[in-house]
Amino acid sequence: MLRYQENNELHRNFHGSTDNAMRFVEKTCGMDALREVLRTTGRDVYKSIREKLARGDASELIEHLTWFYYRENAPFKLEVSENEIRFEVPACPAHVHMKKMGLEPTPFNCLQTEEVNAGMCEGTPWTSTVEHIGPDHCVQIFRKEPSK
Amino acid sequence: MIPSDHFVRFYNEVFKFLEKRGLLQAYFDDVARYAASRNLEKFKNGLQGVYDHYLVIRKEENCDLDMELADGELHSFMRKCPSLSKVLDNDAPASPHYCLHCPGWSLPVNTAAGLYEVYDLMEPDVPHCESWLYDDPARALARYRELLKTVPASRIRTNLPPELLADGEETSRPRSAVFSPETAEKV
Repeated sequence: MLRYQENNELHRNFHGSTDNAMRFVEKTCGMDALREVLRTTGRDVYKSIREKLARGDASELIEHLTWFYYRENAPFKLEVSENEIRFEVPACPAHVHMKKMGLEPTPFNCLQTEEVNAGMCEGTPWTSTVEHIGPDHCVQIFRKEPSK
Repeated sequence: MIPSDHFVRFYNEVFKFLEKRGLLQAYFDDVARYAASRNLEKFKNGLQGVYDHYLVIRKEENCDLDMELADGELHSFMRKCPSLSKVLDNDAPASPHYCLHCPGWSLPVNTAAGLYEVYDLMEPDVPHCESWLYDDPARALARYRELLKTVPASRIRTNLPPELLADGEETSRPRSAVFSPETAEKV
């Protein structure tokens, strides 16, 4: 069950605001600082997902990925096995919407996915990576250390 | 991707991070520049332009917001702010200065649009606030002074020109002006 039950109207222009915030932090504090604030977001805001992952329960992570990409009208492909979750997004809805707004995402926009996912996994048996297939196309991968 | 639903939870983390580095006001100024790039042309249509903008925002951001535009005044009462509500219902702590981002961007953009705002932040840990917007600075000043009779100055934000304010009334002004308000009328 999701900790944050969002089910009403969407304000997609917030993707532009996220990108603008990332630009500001990178410009004033540097790339390591940007990574830190994104990772903190993943670790602390998504505490519920992280704590479940630590207990071996990936249900909220899977629900989070599928629900929020569904809400953003984004096609995705989910593959789940015992120790791996692969979530492929052929057309990132944040990038698609920013382009509709006439905005070009920062070159480091995808750090939000990489670092927030890493924060969700922090201190758990899970690790995350992102394979970039194209500018707006990626596969988010979560792997669990096999049980001993 | 941070879902658009969760932007404000990230925003809150950015505020806490930048506040520790003394950069929160600089960020609000940057947000104001970004907001102006998106909204200033609409706001230049005066009170009606701002009202029309917030009709869209009220729907898309799920605001419980009352607005009344009449007789040269746009009065807004946010009964339940969806942004602060999410930040309060969050596993990460709320920035104590979260609410300041709203006047942080709206006052400079309204200044650039030639509009005068009086903003009552009310309680920072309760998701409601109230504002009044005018194209006549004399009416904004009258509202500001009326409000000062009932609430502490620390709760109020305004973009009234400093020369209109008496001694002791300037503490609630934003620290920096972001724009050269080309369209603002000289008072």
